[in-house]
Amino acid sequence: MTALSETIKKPRNLSPRIEWLRDFYFEGADRDWNNEYLSFGTGTDWDVITDETFVYTMYSIMPSIDATDISTKLAARPIPIPDDFFSWDLVERRAWFVKKVMVDYVPKEILPGDLLAGSRFQLRVSKCLSKEENDERDRLLLGEQGLRQKTLAYHERGFGNCGPSPGHLIPGYEKIVKYGFKHQFEHICELYDQLSESEKSGPKGAQLRAMKTAATMPKEIAAQYSAICRELAEKAKSETRKAELLQMSENLKRVPWEGATTFWEAVMSLWISHMLVMADENYPGPGDSFGRLDQYLFPYWKKSVDEGMDPAFGKEILKCLWIHCNTVYDAQIRIGNQGITAGYGQLFTFSGMGKDGKDMSNDLTFALFDCIEDMTPMLEPKPNVRLHKNSPDKVIDRVVDMISESQGAPFLINFDERSMAGMLREGRMSGKEDLINMDNVFDYASVGCLENTMVGNDRSETVNCNLNLVKSLEYVLSDGTDLVEYYRMDGSVYPKIHDGVKTGDPREFKTFDEFFRAFALQLKNDVKRMVEMYNQSDIHRAKYTPTPYLSILVKGCAESATDISAGGAELKYVTIEGVTFATTVDSLLAIKYLVYDEKICSMDELIQALKDNWEGHELLQARAKNRAPKYGRDDDEADELARCIMELWADECWKYKSEASGEQFRAGMLSWNYWITYAPILFATPDGRKRGQFLSNAICPSNGMDINGPTANANSVGKALGGKNADGGDYDGYVNYLPNGTSHTITFSPAMLRDPGHKTKFKAFLKGYIENGGTALQINVLDADMLVEAQKKPEDYRHLLVRVTGYNAYFTSVGKEMQNEIIAREMQNKY
Amino acid sequence: MLQQSATVLDIQRLSTEDGPGLRTTVFLKGCSLACTWCHNPESIPFDRQVQWIEQGRCIGCGLCVESCPSGSLRAGGKGIEIDRKICVACAACVKVCPTAAMELKGEVWNLDALISEITKDRSFFGKEGGVTFSGGEALMQAEFVIAAVKILKEQGIHTAIDTAGCVPESAMKGVLENADLILYDLKLADPAAHKRFTAADNTLVLKNAKLAAAYHKDYKINGPERPEIWIRTPIIPGATDSEENITRIGAFIADHMNESISRWELISFNNLCQSKYNRLGLTWDFESTPLIKAEKMEALVKAAKESGADPSKILWTGSTFMEG
Repeated sequence: MTALSETIKKPRNLSPRIEWLRDFYFEGADRDWNNEYLSFGTGTDWDVITDETFVYTMYSIMPSIDATDISTKLAARPIPIPDDFFSWDLVERRAWFVKKVMVDYVPKEILPGDLLAGSRFQLRVSKCLSKEENDERDRLLLGEQGLRQKTLAYHERGFGNCGPSPGHLIPGYEKIVKYGFKHQFEHICELYDQLSESEKSGPKGAQLRAMKTAATMPKEIAAQYSAICRELAEKAKSETRKAELLQMSENLKRVPWEGATTFWEAVMSLWISHMLVMADENYPGPGDSFGRLDQYLFPYWKKSVDEGMDPAFGKEILKCLWIHCNTVYDAQIRIGNQGITAGYGQLFTFSGMGKDGKDMSNDLTFALFDCIEDMTPMLEPKPNVRLHKNSPDKVIDRVVDMISESQGAPFLINFDERSMAGMLREGRMSGKEDLINMDNVFDYASVGCLENTMVGNDRSETVNCNLNLVKSLEYVLSDGTDLVEYYRMDGSVYPKIHDGVKTGDPREFKTFDEFFRAFALQLKNDVKRMVEMYNQSDIHRAKYTPTPYLSILVKGCAESATDISAGGAELKYVTIEGVTFATTVDSLLAIKYLVYDEKICSMDELIQALKDNWEGHELLQARAKNRAPKYGRDDDEADELARCIMELWADECWKYKSEASGEQFRAGMLSWNYWITYAPILFATPDGRKRGQFLSNAICPSNGMDINGPTANANSVGKALGGKNADGGDYDGYVNYLPNGTSHTITFSPAMLRDPGHKTKFKAFLKGYIENGGTALQINVLDADMLVEAQKKPEDYRHLLVRVTGYNAYFTSVGKEMQNEIIAREMQNKY
Repeated sequence: MLQQSATVLDIQRLSTEDGPGLRTTVFLKGCSLACTWCHNPESIPFDRQVQWIEQGRCIGCGLCVESCPSGSLRAGGKGIEIDRKICVACAACVKVCPTAAMELKGEVWNLDALISEITKDRSFFGKEGGVTFSGGEALMQAEFVIAAVKILKEQGIHTAIDTAGCVPESAMKGVLENADLILYDLKLADPAAHKRFTAADNTLVLKNAKLAAAYHKDYKINGPERPEIWIRTPIIPGATDSEENITRIGAFIADHMNESISRWELISFNNLCQSKYNRLGLTWDFESTPLIKAEKMEALVKAAKESGADPSKILWTGSTFMEG
């Protein structure tokens, strides 16, 4: 069985410098240096360090909120604050505090051989609330009527969850690399000077003053690192290293305060700007994304190569960026597998089209491919390669080669035409056509996993609201309340509340259309319920968690003198991620088939079967599972129902904006791991699924139901998103109801890529997917035997990467249930 | 009256082994041969058949047995037994089965419906891929296949016909005039061995092969585009795997087809079809036959290359036995 282990991708082409840094990184908790959380507080009794709303979307962590709060507070080092600190506006307090901590308290080191500076940035620092603010915040969050309890109940009754996740946007890094923070600082100063005196003494003035404070933070930190480089250069043993350190010291004198003049400076500027976003948000990195790296860094790459930089050295600089990005996982290094549980999703986008459909790939695009290949299996930064109809063979061939050489695509593939159709729809539906239109839509990029957004001016909240669509179906079956019992963590049962729409006794419905109309009413009500839940999180964020540093990097905040957390960005969206889509579609198809078309059972019998969790109704369950039509088989009738449901719920989202920050709601479909989380919670469903069995994942067909293979699966997904419309569509005939994108995973057996002939065939698959498929595709190449073996001998398979729902994870670290799920998928793959 | 419907065994999408590119393969039911090693035993009879899928599907509800009007089903120790002497494949059992464990092999498709089904993957075909008609013997239902090929051609879709050649000359001519690729099987050179292993001698097979080669050679500039021809020889242990057989097939190719074919593929035996025989209640002569070793395939390719057939067109494919 050793032969199997050898097939796992190992890094290669590493210079001694990068090899050392990589090995050092993988020493994990044994390292004598790391980037784990550093906590600092104001030392007041009421100090709050952690923001519990960050974990409202993570049910399993919610019970430990109090314990984490207390332990973090105990670990926090108090730092002296000015006497009049609490008389300042909150945003100014926060800007001062974060800067103070980053500049004066966070240790600064340069790792051996490293070509980039900026090593520790994982902070948990005081929210800087006054006593009064804190009491007010407690009233919002705590107690029976507080948001925490409401969120728990919302979750435990199977509706879903919501909370404000930081990250998940693409700051305007391009501008900083080009012009530096100095430019932003001067811009903010000008805006401040334009304020009236009363504005200056009000919240607008406070906001801009806070942003000014924050804008000089990178300059001061760079100066400190510059000095360290100079000291190290004096002690350097080799002349080469000495020269490197002196150059780094020079680079840091310039960037990120001023615009970069070389590739090395550009990457340095990018990294410091980026790490400070994580510091500012006190968030370890998920979704803070880079945008089109191969586009905005290319001028620097070209200039430096033209001036004599060896491209191999350029790649070493990039590989140092890789190492730095991976240190985000150090945040919780003492807990778990080197802190590595899943990809955090500092995503970068590369390749893809420019204006008029022209491909924009360049030398840097291919250098990035090399880095991804050489640095595998490191998880960060997470690559997202954009393909489109005019992608050159050179790019697609490279993509296919890399898929065949690792255990699956070491990147997500994003599809431009379908994605751009969604972005243009977003512009149209939200009345922002001035900011999203044919002249700039090609510059979209993705954050986190695959969530499409605009760049540098878009507060793209992407994973904040997760709505279980199938819950609305349950509310039809019992006329506006729960059909089965739902439990609290202590085992007690939630009382039944008739809080849905009274759509009538479903036993009286004469036709499927009647049933579907009732479903539509419940679904609309559940979107509204989600919006109302989220509004309270939004109030909390807007009021208590300003991020003045991040606000500098997002267009609109300075201009409106409003923090990004309060809605300052030019574009502001919040995604409702639809969860359990295929389960919902398949359940409606089963109801249509069993009750209305074939009349195999009455509605009453079906409802009883669901209440009994299908026990004693095995024949009916078997029919629901095996004989009713399913989404994902390229069956036009079934897929049309899928499309109707998609249009229905996605269009409903456009009707709402959040109250505090004015974020426009929109639809997306990224299930994260909720199809597992909600499996034991949600009722037995009419598609034959028992309570406890997995729900469907994102836009994928239900597990194992795509029996007509990957092409049929892809066609169904494209149709569910709206397909193509010869007379219209939003881009080149393409329709996409989900502007924020959707996760689609297909597993292929390695046989599909075994030789050049088959690789050509696989390329044809990708080209077909560009035409007919979804917005993003994760390709897995696995075989079940290898996985079973890995499950038995995890110690031999530590590097075995799998990709689920658009995030990467080490197979051995995902937990037995998920492992079994992945194995089941592979077993059913008949190819 | 044009044959407007066909009996279809299966439609397979994302097919990678039936011609160039990604293809949708239509397996038609019924064969003029009955090779002892056949990998699709259910494709041999033209009549439709009912079968029971043994693994993981049947929940033992017994509805199929109750539903059977001819009394040909019985719940036995190993599952549902089908008395094929009295079963008329009325498919009553298939209709009632709640788990799809009872399957009907051989559904009747009309031309329009089939065309719309097999063009669903059009976007994935690209320039190279397309539709392959296989079997059974695709040309047992030649009129339908030719009609389908014509429609696909009009739509700009590449078509391939997989045939063993034991078909009427008119059928062969029809596809030569319309299809883009012929996958032509030459299994055994010796007429007696051909008869023994496939239930028919190879007179017609060789005659049609010559016809195809001649057509290819003589096609007129202004006429229809000539189809590409690939020769395929399944390498079956104890049946077709002798160097003598390969040498003699090679000599036939050298004499008649060298300039007309673009490849000659030796395909190694695979043993994945055992369960298909079990389902049909048949025993398979090759039940415990191991996969062929790679060296053996290399040796056969060597013999083929020395046979007079154009060596640049010869290759082998398929899975082989792995040591250890």
